[in-house]
Amino acid sequence: MDVEQGTIVTLIGNNGAGKTTTLRAITGLNHPSSGEILFDGHNLNKLAPEKINRLGIAHVPEGRRVFPQMTVLENLEMGAYLRKDKNAIRQDIDMVFNHFPVLKERIKQLAGTMSGGQQQMVAMGRALMSAPKMIVMDEPSHGLAPIMCLEIARIIREINKKGTTIILVEQNAMLALSLADRAYVLDTGNVILEGDAKELKENDDVKKAYLGG
Amino acid sequence: MWKKISGLAIIGIIFCSLPYMVELYRMEVLIVLLFNLILAQSYRLVNTTGDWSLSHIVVMGVGAYSSALITKLLGWPFWLSLPVSGLVTAFIGFLIVFPLLRTIGFGFFIGSFALGEFVRLIWVKFRDPFGGPRGLINIPSAEIGPIDLYQPIPFYYFCLIIAAISIWIMYRIDRSHIGDTFKAIHTDPVLCETIGIRVPRYRAMAFVIGAFFAGIAGALMAHHQGAIDPHNFEATLMVYLIIYVVVGGIETFWGAALGVIVMTVIFEITRPLEEWRPLIAGCILILFLVVMPGGLDVLLPKTMKLFRKIPGIGQLFT
Amino acid sequence: MEVSTLIQTIANSLVQSSVYATLAIGLALGFGVMKMANFAHGEFYMLGAYVVFFLYTTWGLPYPLAVLAALPIIALVGMLTERLIFRPTKGNVLAGFMATAGLTFILQVLVGQAWGVGLMRAIETPYKGAWEVAGAFIGWQRLIIIPVAILMITALWYFLYHVKIGKALRACAQDPEVAALQGISINKITLTAMAIAGGYAGIAGALMAPIQPVTPYMGHDIIIICFIIVIVGGMESIAGAVLASFILGFIHTFMTTLYDSIVAIMAGVALMALILIVKPEGLLGKVKA
Repeated sequence: MDVEQGTIVTLIGNNGAGKTTTLRAITGLNHPSSGEILFDGHNLNKLAPEKINRLGIAHVPEGRRVFPQMTVLENLEMGAYLRKDKNAIRQDIDMVFNHFPVLKERIKQLAGTMSGGQQQMVAMGRALMSAPKMIVMDEPSHGLAPIMCLEIARIIREINKKGTTIILVEQNAMLALSLADRAYVLDTGNVILEGDAKELKENDDVKKAYLGG
Repeated sequence: MWKKISGLAIIGIIFCSLPYMVELYRMEVLIVLLFNLILAQSYRLVNTTGDWSLSHIVVMGVGAYSSALITKLLGWPFWLSLPVSGLVTAFIGFLIVFPLLRTIGFGFFIGSFALGEFVRLIWVKFRDPFGGPRGLINIPSAEIGPIDLYQPIPFYYFCLIIAAISIWIMYRIDRSHIGDTFKAIHTDPVLCETIGIRVPRYRAMAFVIGAFFAGIAGALMAHHQGAIDPHNFEATLMVYLIIYVVVGGIETFWGAALGVIVMTVIFEITRPLEEWRPLIAGCILILFLVVMPGGLDVLLPKTMKLFRKIPGIGQLFT
Repeated sequence: MEVSTLIQTIANSLVQSSVYATLAIGLALGFGVMKMANFAHGEFYMLGAYVVFFLYTTWGLPYPLAVLAALPIIALVGMLTERLIFRPTKGNVLAGFMATAGLTFILQVLVGQAWGVGLMRAIETPYKGAWEVAGAFIGWQRLIIIPVAILMITALWYFLYHVKIGKALRACAQDPEVAALQGISINKITLTAMAIAGGYAGIAGALMAPIQPVTPYMGHDIIIICFIIVIVGGMESIAGAVLASFILGFIHTFMTTLYDSIVAIMAGVALMALILIVKPEGLLGKVKA
């Protein structure tokens, strides 16, 4: 599997295909039993999550997982935990609020008391706060209202336009394929198809299996 | 099958001949070893559900106090007071475990610790009938009909019989459907709940059965010592009990017994360093938990190969 | 109860509650971050008292300095405990807890061998005299504990809500995996939590050293009350721990004055049992005990 800088790459597949596991292996939550994960020339196989964050990879975990007892602002600050440049951090907080204006209104609200869509925004904002080179996103649209999905998709594209590489895992293959440049189709841990996202979207097998006809 | 029987027979012969293999003053150690065997196995039974109670020593104390009071105040004979104390202890055990059934993990450890302390403080507080901080003295020595069990050797054999019966019953429970349920609860209480196992009921059951046998051990101890006081059931001793079980390991049925035997031997060897004993015990406990979390059990597959060469015993440890 | 006795008892309750609070917040902190309870927390308290005994009584250092010294010394003990016991047993709630039970034995014996087993160390109070209110006499030595405790609780609150590492500590308590994804080193955070817990317990012991007989076993009586407090307050909740410290402090002191110390502990246990039945997550807790 290859992820080129500045692109959006998506992994699609059924439940249990190994999408989340792949992402968790990239950010060090799991350690792969075989194979190699390279990023900017660094081998990530045995690194701890906090070291991988330092290299510039941020992870938006499945199910959002904001820090529920912390405010929106504190959640964002945690995203910037390793950064020392206070001014740049402040600018990035403003940048996040530009992406997600609703968060600015709720800056002091405890993240655990927010709606699912807003929590997703907090989680994505938190990932942005580490000024990452690459963000891996696990099911950002999961459990959200359709309108919210579109909103999230728009923001993912925005983030990518600014030069951040994105690996996107999605149940919603339609959404994922229309966002992505490249796509990999996973089945029980193996890549069974790969290619340009636009082409895969037209592929009959993919249509049948993942796009509902 | 014959291997198992011969293994049991060998262990039986060893235990039966022990009194003739050691000096008389060591009889005390052997008798205490038997109490601890019953106690540790009963504790292990409670642990199979994942509930590491920190009140088990106090629960044993309930048995000791019950039997002492039953024989002293009611004048009942020892053979009757022994099982009755077991039942009394089981009942008190139920009262202790009841408020803890909604807790898991730490809530259970700490809650059981505090409730055990509560029971112990009752003994300290009420002079009548518990004798207050000084406890009870002049507890009648054990006798069954015409047989006086005051002498160490007859008492040893009596305890050996009781220990054998108790451990056999606990073994049967462990191997039964109930024992399997206990272990299933340890593995995944939520799953057990969803397939219709009444988890609180089984947790209480394990605790109560364990309490019964702890009570038996306590009653034996009370009549052996002739005097008991609240200090006999302090939290410090609870830590020793944990050490037995941790050292032995709880994966297999015999782990706890193994731990008791190993630790008794270690304590005997280090007897000259008595005042350092807690330190030694503490180090052993930490060592086992940090380096060998499974206890001696984990080493068993290796040692089993050795044991297998002796006919029978290897079978026992499977 | 006479007015003077009442005032005296209230004052004593406040002092007692303050000591409990400085101990219990450390336990709650450790529990929040590591999901582990430290059985040897009472022994940290005992060691704090011995620091004062050693530096103040034996070496003749000024008392406030001896108390301050207890903070880094016992914090170090806390960090060693994290490194040698909690980290290797990570993920096994039971093992860490039981291993610290072993640690209590080790610390008791070592202190006993160094300064005498069961020997009570009387430490002369540096602040003689008392404050007289309506016929009640409240010793200065006791009284200073209250502001010190308030200062310590405030400092911890400031640390947790306004300092980056403190916030990271809260993040770890709420979701360690996601905290690690933000670049937070869980090991450093648990080390910090154990340092604070140890240091605070050390100060509590140092403050109580002139008031209480100092023995190697003095930690044992207090740990059970601290555990009760943490359960009543709600395991991981620091605010809950403080609240419960005051509830237990008052119950304990009043019961001791009215009846005796045995009834006092029994009342505490009874309260705990009630909480476990009615509200197992504790007064302010989110997690079931």
